Amino acid sequence: MAEFYTRMGDGSRVLMTREKILNDIQAGMADAVDMGGLPDLTPNDIEKLFEIISDKNRVVGVEPGNEVVLTYDIGQLDFTGDNGNSGNGVDVGRMESALLHERALGADTFELAHADYSIKPVKPVISNEMQTMEEIQNEIVAPYFYGAMPNAGLYYSPDGPYGNPADLMREFKIDEAMQAAEMTADHLARDIEYVATRLIAAGSDGFNFDTTASAGDADAVGTFKGVRALRKACPDTYINVGMAGESIMGIHGSIEFDGEIVAGTYPHQQVKFAQKAGANVFGPVVNTNTSKSLAWNLGRAVTFIKECVKVAEIPCHVNMGMGVGGIPMCETAPIDAVTRCNKAMVEIAKVDGV
Amino acid sequence: MADEKKALYDAMVAYKVPAIQQAVENARKSGMTASKIIDALGEGMTEVGILFERGKLFLPHVLSAAQGMKSAMEVLGPELLASGDVSAKRASVVMGTVEGDVHDIGKSICSTMLQCAGFDVHDLGRDVPKTSFISEIKGGCTMCGMSALMTTTMTVQKEVIEILKSEGLRDKVIVMVGGAPVTQAYADKIGADIYGESASETTNKAKTISS
Amino acid sequence: MAVPHFMASGMGGIRTAGDLVARMEYSKNMKIGKAKEYVAKKLGISTLEIGDEYIMRGLREELKIGVVTGVPGAPRGIAAKMNIEKLLDIKINSCDIFREMTKR
Repeated sequence: MAEFYTRMGDGSRVLMTREKILNDIQAGMADAVDMGGLPDLTPNDIEKLFEIISDKNRVVGVEPGNEVVLTYDIGQLDFTGDNGNSGNGVDVGRMESALLHERALGADTFELAHADYSIKPVKPVISNEMQTMEEIQNEIVAPYFYGAMPNAGLYYSPDGPYGNPADLMREFKIDEAMQAAEMTADHLARDIEYVATRLIAAGSDGFNFDTTASAGDADAVGTFKGVRALRKACPDTYINVGMAGESIMGIHGSIEFDGEIVAGTYPHQQVKFAQKAGANVFGPVVNTNTSKSLAWNLGRAVTFIKECVKVAEIPCHVNMGMGVGGIPMCETAPIDAVTRCNKAMVEIAKVDGV
Repeated sequence: MADEKKALYDAMVAYKVPAIQQAVENARKSGMTASKIIDALGEGMTEVGILFERGKLFLPHVLSAAQGMKSAMEVLGPELLASGDVSAKRASVVMGTVEGDVHDIGKSICSTMLQCAGFDVHDLGRDVPKTSFISEIKGGCTMCGMSALMTTTMTVQKEVIEILKSEGLRDKVIVMVGGAPVTQAYADKIGADIYGESASETTNKAKTISS
Repeated sequence: MAVPHFMASGMGGIRTAGDLVARMEYSKNMKIGKAKEYVAKKLGISTLEIGDEYIMRGLREELKIGVVTGVPGAPRGIAAKMNIEKLLDIKINSCDIFREMTKR
């Protein structure tokens, strides 16, 4: 029986038969359907996914005319960072990095980022960031954002003024934990408005909120509130809201945005919050399970993202990095897996960008 | 008795402390033994963990259920001791995010789930020096859980295992590793005993290995 | 991971019309199909051609909207973006600020 080289979720190679690949696609899909209450992929989708995964070529790509917008997060850190953020350890400047992405790496948009890549630490260096933004806007042609993680974790003890909900809850101080999360959400929203309006005043095309909800549901609510305030202050600015994970963790559990609980929501529900808040583009995430195959992960991820794109009124740029969007959790994600995930997201899930 | 068992299970899944206390009281009045009540509550707690994993219940709900369990144990514990029907308390676990790494949400959720499952959890927080894990193990912890969110810090998990070996402690402790970049293959490579893809998977494996 | 993404499905930024399509997605919330149609119409070519390096290389230089290779004298930065504003009938923040700063 013919076998195909494919990958596991940790990036390692594995040989699988057609039957096994199809079984894994269907099992991954079933998991997404079950978790998110989503419709199944169509038989055509499943067959196309099998063809993409089993393609004998090392690199696959979309058909001409099917190309989508390619946005980048993390700014220059993909060059300058260490392996913790898949950086190359090459200490180039931010101007050089921006122009290299625009002119050598096919970026349709790019962004300026701070080494810590979180909103709170930008406040003390806001003038530096504004000057660099002004300088690069004079040279760059492609849309150029400022990007940072909302990272509400920095507002909790020991980094910030509010009690740490995880610690408080272990002592059964549940009400205190919830109050800390609510205060954090409001503080984060204020900081978002402070930082983002200044960078937009310096010429930024907009703001990219990366890994929204990484610290749970209060992180998400704080971000959505901040986005709403930013939209009010800067009606024409470009706003990208990218998520941290497929489901918003319920650290608070009942905190709401616009009267709706955000905890436990999946991409097709999260996009509605982002739309209401005033985002132009939404970045959904589906996490990779390292113990499952690429077929399982991609079947699952495409099922989630297809529904998200279908219900979205704004464009969706799916997150496709190390350990998300079906891509293996591997620092040097294998090119065969990356390009297969890419093609599947564009041609089956119909994303507007990556 | 089946009705009482179901009432205990349902109260636990509904996670409200007063209702759990009431269900325990009713079960006692009906003559149910302390160990049977605890078993029924435990089944409910397992379901709470599953619902948490599936995003249907959230951390405060899990903790509220755990608080109900704790409150029930305050009543049932002495009864259990008196009857001699005491099941061994689960192991003591030292938990922490390894040194150099400040990401602790995943680890904290895992600590909470372990605590809910009856383990005695010593959560050292984040950026935990290697020596602190060793001290806790020397102090009696028989399980050690280490989390790392970055590829730059996951190597510390291996270093702690090496220290355990050099100090002759490796066979005395069950080592669990987790965190976004950590995989089963990595866990095998560094010689960890348990790899958990999620907090509940880690807890289930910990329960199995320690039972 | 930039290169595999670009090669598999990316529009190509200023190699083609990727930056222009991105601007329509962000400024008008247009989904990819509509954004491509809008840009293609403004450029007077097809939606397939806006992703074609051969066609777009010459067109970008002719329209003075920024080219990917180093061409002395070809507008870049704010100058190129001011021409993009006119082409796409949109406003670009850095251009607005530039105009405000140079107003007498």
